[in-house]
Amino acid sequence: MSESSIEPPLRRFSNLRSVRWRVDLGILPCSDSSSIDDLRRAAADSRRRYASLRRRLLIDSHLPADENVSSDLVIDNPLSQNPDSKWGRLFRNAELEKVVDEDLSRLYPEDGSYFQTPACQAMLRRILLLWCIRHPEYGYRQGMHELLAPLVYVLHVDLDHLSRVRKLHEDCFIDVFDGNNSFPDVDLISNYRFQKTNKWDSVPGKGNDSHESTPKTSSIDDLDPETKEIFLLSDPYGAEGELGIILSERFMEHDAYSKFDALMNGANDGVISMAEFFSPALSIGSSSGLPPIIEASSALYHLLSVVDSSLHSHFVELGVEPQYFALRWLRVLFGREFALDDLLLVWDELFASSNHMCIESNTEYSFKLLCSGRGAFIAALAVSMLLHLRSSLLATENATSCLQRLLNFPQNVDMKKLIEKAKALQGLALDVGCSSTSSHFSISKNNLAVRRGYSLPTGSASPKSPNHSLPDSYWEERWRVLHKEEALKKGNKSLGERFNLSRTESDPSPAKNAQTKARAPSATVRRRLFDDSPKDTRKSDADDGRSRCDENPAAPIESVSLSNKADREKQFEEEGSSSGENSSVLSATLSHDESIGNDPENESEKSSVTSNSFIGDNDEESCSQEFIISQAVQEAEAASSSAKAERAGSLLEKSASLKEKKPLSSKLQWLWKFGRASGEANTEKGGAEDSEKQSSVNNGKDSSCCSAPNGTCNSCEATSRRVDVGDTKVMGTLKNLGQSMLENIQ
Amino acid sequence: MDSASSSQPEFDYLFKLLLIGDSGVGKSSLLLRFTSDSFEDLSPTIGVDFKVKMVNIGGKKLKLAIWDTAGQERFRTLTSSYYRGAQGIIMVYDVTRRDTFTNLSDVWAKEIDLYSTNQDCIKMLVGNKVDKESERVVTKKEGIDFAREYGCLFLECSAKTRVNVEQCFEELVLKILETPSLLAEGSSGIKKNIFKQKPPEADASTSSCC
Repeated sequence: MSESSIEPPLRRFSNLRSVRWRVDLGILPCSDSSSIDDLRRAAADSRRRYASLRRRLLIDSHLPADENVSSDLVIDNPLSQNPDSKWGRLFRNAELEKVVDEDLSRLYPEDGSYFQTPACQAMLRRILLLWCIRHPEYGYRQGMHELLAPLVYVLHVDLDHLSRVRKLHEDCFIDVFDGNNSFPDVDLISNYRFQKTNKWDSVPGKGNDSHESTPKTSSIDDLDPETKEIFLLSDPYGAEGELGIILSERFMEHDAYSKFDALMNGANDGVISMAEFFSPALSIGSSSGLPPIIEASSALYHLLSVVDSSLHSHFVELGVEPQYFALRWLRVLFGREFALDDLLLVWDELFASSNHMCIESNTEYSFKLLCSGRGAFIAALAVSMLLHLRSSLLATENATSCLQRLLNFPQNVDMKKLIEKAKALQGLALDVGCSSTSSHFSISKNNLAVRRGYSLPTGSASPKSPNHSLPDSYWEERWRVLHKEEALKKGNKSLGERFNLSRTESDPSPAKNAQTKARAPSATVRRRLFDDSPKDTRKSDADDGRSRCDENPAAPIESVSLSNKADREKQFEEEGSSSGENSSVLSATLSHDESIGNDPENESEKSSVTSNSFIGDNDEESCSQEFIISQAVQEAEAASSSAKAERAGSLLEKSASLKEKKPLSSKLQWLWKFGRASGEANTEKGGAEDSEKQSSVNNGKDSSCCSAPNGTCNSCEATSRRVDVGDTKVMGTLKNLGQSMLENIQ
Repeated sequence: MDSASSSQPEFDYLFKLLLIGDSGVGKSSLLLRFTSDSFEDLSPTIGVDFKVKMVNIGGKKLKLAIWDTAGQERFRTLTSSYYRGAQGIIMVYDVTRRDTFTNLSDVWAKEIDLYSTNQDCIKMLVGNKVDKESERVVTKKEGIDFAREYGCLFLECSAKTRVNVEQCFEELVLKILETPSLLAEGSSGIKKNIFKQKPPEADASTSSCC
């Protein structure tokens, strides 16, 4: 994880998570160029600060009598009701201790080995007490201890690692240095066995015997860089001496406090300060006027609505308010949702994301969470978690079962995928945050596109764009699942209802599509599509479509693919609706505002970019089903013909499913196919068979499209056909074909 | 799957119950004991958690969605929404900690008055941890008096030893079943959204009291 996550400084300590985190949290200098000595000095400073704080607050406050004899006995006596008296403080602290102890005793009881050890408990307790006394405006709130625990844990792990490295080198060099261990007490770094320590110290002397010299001697160069660095970080003779040892058991508490404080307060003007999530005070700066935790929860929903409007509307429909589950997710930064080891991976990414405000200082924003890379990642991860559960969430019929799932996140999650998805969504989240007033996201500057465009599941149901890159299999699965569920339940009702929730709006459009197919106003549509794709294309033409998808809708696509299969079936049923959606999407893209009627959510949410991508999807779908018809449909959609009733039936459904699956890029491919198909395609309306074929083709195309440009082909079969074709070629051919098709049709 | 289980045929009524009370009085433990008949050390609840249990009471198949709130949360905008649409509210205190009892009248009863959306909703007072009889500081008499004053049901129980846990929920639910207006709300295999309140259909005459 860390590797992918990161910038040089992180890689720099790829094996030392605690050091990386300290860099990311702003306690240690981050620039790549900062020397080991810089790091050591910064570490020493932070430790001094903690030591003096501890002396002042914890120790002194427990000895009220001797601090200032000047104290007024009227105020400072044990019976005083004045909360500011030293005694009052003392009592308050005693209360605080009680609460903290109560929670700490229950901290990771299952992992008891480490967190429940008396030494660890005492350390955690001091850190929490100190922080809370230092920040009376927040005090201690349940959950804070769970933010602290992982920070301590990684220090512990790194110290372990350090001792292992020492041991390793001891073994390696034991012969060489036997008898050279003349400085047994040299290494005070930690209390690890002296022998190891000695060996370690002597390691640098490997080449020469001057082991007592500081590690900087040339002999260190014999070590591999990583080990060398560890050595330099731990060298008691480096800058600041013992106090500057980066990884030191003695200063674990200091370091943990620094990290905790930085996390809670958003060090260095960071945007996200976790402490705010514990406070009911209204957030400062944002226009929402809500408490930060509520605002952040809504930000999450806002992002969700952009990424997967159908899921969002499902939640809204059921009355599932975001804070019901997001409160816990956010307060402990997902600590309750993942096992500790998984959580560390999440936090790697989280901390690696910049916590600086990424919008103009004078810009108004409504979601503070979405104004920094870190906050955006938080929101993106939350959304990708929702998408992970998408199909099962959509299947819920009341808030109870929905929340049950949300509050019991599965433990066997593929963290890597989840995090990748989140990273893919992160840029979108930032864009959404920056343009929270305007409805459209400019193309995300971030690397969304960089990651494969997993077919993010988000959009699968949502008319917007999400469906693009979903592999066919995804939909199929979804279909199956849905069907089963439905069958079990009431049958169509539930399904219809569910779908309707998100897709109902679109229902009319499918019919339109079918009817409108004939029309062929599509030319404009097509042009737009074509035009759009090239415009959009940042990368390669084909890639553009996909990359776009990836960027905006892409994140959802992956998840979609996961659950899509199941959805497929549903989609078939829904196809009509979905096609309607697609059409609406198309129309929306064409005339952004026009389409609104169909998918209000989508419309508003969709950015121009997304709309393009959507359009592509739609086109593709329509193309596959009806080839030209689709275009016509699009036009028709735009025209908002009334022929909803006429749903193309299975064809439409298929097309819809296809649509969903296909990414923007697929549009081009689709066109291509259309061109091909056009010959064949005359049969558009022909039979379901034709449609099926087409759909298969489309799917293949889609997949191929995906794979070809992005290399992220979900379904490979069809892909091979078209993949080979150069993107540009494809584009050109597609255009030509599409135009000719349209002409013919017309 | 769950959706299937939540569909109409599976139960006659769906009730939303709410657990409130100070931190550490044993709300989550009580719930865990009730829903899975186990007892263990639990991490403090953050925000809200909840569990679902199907029960047969009074000849009816019932689905209970029990919301378990964080005792430490004093976040009005947040907590208020938990009360919405609840047919039953259980106030829990710890018989070995007087402050958890006094806070009922100081804090929790007021919260109910403020946020409960249903006048008829049944309230229940539960004194937990009676297994620690030697450490008891709140007498049963005090509990009864409080319950009488506030017009709510009352029981003492122990999540640890299981004493009276089932009875708590059973009594509460029976009372709900006697209350037509609550029944109407709960009879919603139909209702998708348990948070959206239907206008009280019939003003139930049965008011909750012990």
